[in-house]
Amino acid sequence: MIGLVDANNFYVSCERVFQPELNGRPVAVLSNNDGCIIARSEELKALEIPMGLPAYQLTNGQNAASIHLRSSNYELYGDMSARLAQLLRDVCPAVAPYSIDEMFIYLDGMTPTQCHTLGQQLRRRIRRQLGLPVCVGLAPTHTLAKFANHLAKKEPHFEGVCLLAGNDAVTHRWLKATPVGAVWGVGRRLAARLELMGIRTAWALSQADPKQLRKRFSVVLARTAMELAGTPCLSMNALDEPRQRIMTSRSFGQPTGAYADVHNALRRHAQRSAEKLRRQGSLAGAVLLFLHTNRHRRDQPQYFPQTVVTLPTLSDDTRDILDAVRQGLAAIYRPRYRFIKAGVMLLGLVDAEQHQLSLLNPPLRPRHAELMGTVDAINRRLGQDTIRFGMTQAQGAWELRCAHRSARFTTQWGELARAGTHPGAVAHYLAQQSSRS
Amino acid sequence: MPVSPSRFTPRLPLTTLPLPLLSLKARAGFSGFPSPAQDYEPLTLDLNARLIKHPTQTFFLTATGDSMEGWGIFHDDLLIIDRSIPARLGHILVVMLDDELLIKRYALHQGTPHLCSSHPDYPPLPLAHSDCQLWGVVRAVVHEYVR
Repeated sequence: MIGLVDANNFYVSCERVFQPELNGRPVAVLSNNDGCIIARSEELKALEIPMGLPAYQLTNGQNAASIHLRSSNYELYGDMSARLAQLLRDVCPAVAPYSIDEMFIYLDGMTPTQCHTLGQQLRRRIRRQLGLPVCVGLAPTHTLAKFANHLAKKEPHFEGVCLLAGNDAVTHRWLKATPVGAVWGVGRRLAARLELMGIRTAWALSQADPKQLRKRFSVVLARTAMELAGTPCLSMNALDEPRQRIMTSRSFGQPTGAYADVHNALRRHAQRSAEKLRRQGSLAGAVLLFLHTNRHRRDQPQYFPQTVVTLPTLSDDTRDILDAVRQGLAAIYRPRYRFIKAGVMLLGLVDAEQHQLSLLNPPLRPRHAELMGTVDAINRRLGQDTIRFGMTQAQGAWELRCAHRSARFTTQWGELARAGTHPGAVAHYLAQQSSRS
Repeated sequence: MPVSPSRFTPRLPLTTLPLPLLSLKARAGFSGFPSPAQDYEPLTLDLNARLIKHPTQTFFLTATGDSMEGWGIFHDDLLIIDRSIPARLGHILVVMLDDELLIKRYALHQGTPHLCSSHPDYPPLPLAHSDCQLWGVVRAVVHEYVR
């Protein structure tokens, strides 16, 4: 069985671990430079405030006083994500992080009942030991596991853990109740075309002829349909969800411990990711990078570091992403380990067009669009990596605006959360501090 | 359920470098006795290894206030919280109560479990019917005399 462990409203949940005053209240996390909303608490969703809403509309709108704003704090989110991945690795035979807040776990050789019990245990354990609420979806394929996770989130009676056996009546009933547009990887436009063919539900898609789907649409959709029917045919690398995450990772040809090898691989991934970013018209707010040693080689020392570097400003500029990769690798690289895999993930994606419409946002680098457009065009015409980037220059010229940033509770000694020895002690202390300054 | 041993994964900020491993060094040449200290040369004592048994579940907080001085916790002390330890009577806990993180001692008072402080102004809170939630168990307190 494959499990998908997905943290609920991850950025907001990370903030709440150290700021209990945010519990039960509407919370919005803002993109770099406090541009627009990139994460919402359930309470904020209930106020019908959409993702992507520019922050100034929120501060001027109704309910403004009751809404808690936080600037994105990628150091905190990255650290909590690394803890989540490590906790899963301690329990499960294999773990594949899929995004900062979603991890696939592979539970080979376990019965469905055992898997379900493990799912419940994991959920309790993550809540108790990391303070993060998660949901777990379990199924024979990646696509069904994602679907099961969606049900676990949406249907309260699952209590956060949903197991779909694949080809039983329960799975079929849920597939029949789900519109095709809600299936992983089926966008709105694709859903409209499918509906014209009479494929309106996830069930209808799972029953469609994969050969026909491949001919009329794409091999990806054909695979999605087979996965819904319970036949595993997606490898992790094939999973891509535009506009929410961009990940590029690959195993090394040979395990390597050399800094230069690892850096070069990450630079290649960074360039590829930046191209994807520009192709879909998004800007990224932070870069996550990770390294893996070979977990099957129990005789060798194991190390699965990951880190998140916040970009100085929202960007789709390869140079900014390369710079972040260099910083991040310097922080996590250790000699003496033999790495087999390295990857780059872009986080906090927002729509570039929408971002540039706001006058509050600092401009992108002058002539940046022309440069990147030219590079992409040449690489498309003459092949990947025709033009590559050398070492990049220093940081961008603009200071990051983050008026509402919470402390970096887990990565900076000077910013630890405070616990009071009696009620009001922390509030009293903070009031004293602010009157002093 | 396959359980793999939890390995110490070095990660910022817990430790900046992998723990030094004890390695047997070549013994001193052909002449007589090797120094008995030689075998242990690379071994250093690492406070992380002593105070942080579960790095993934360990968090740091700063103590604020004077109501726990009776139990050796002073204002601005560093608390090392291990969220993987189950709470037992006698432990010092961090709990979430009314939107606050509070440090309390989990102990019996008149025969029932209470959350206690060491200050007369703050009487023990009975745990029954309280909506307080456990955040984590305080494994150690670091009090720095010189900063």
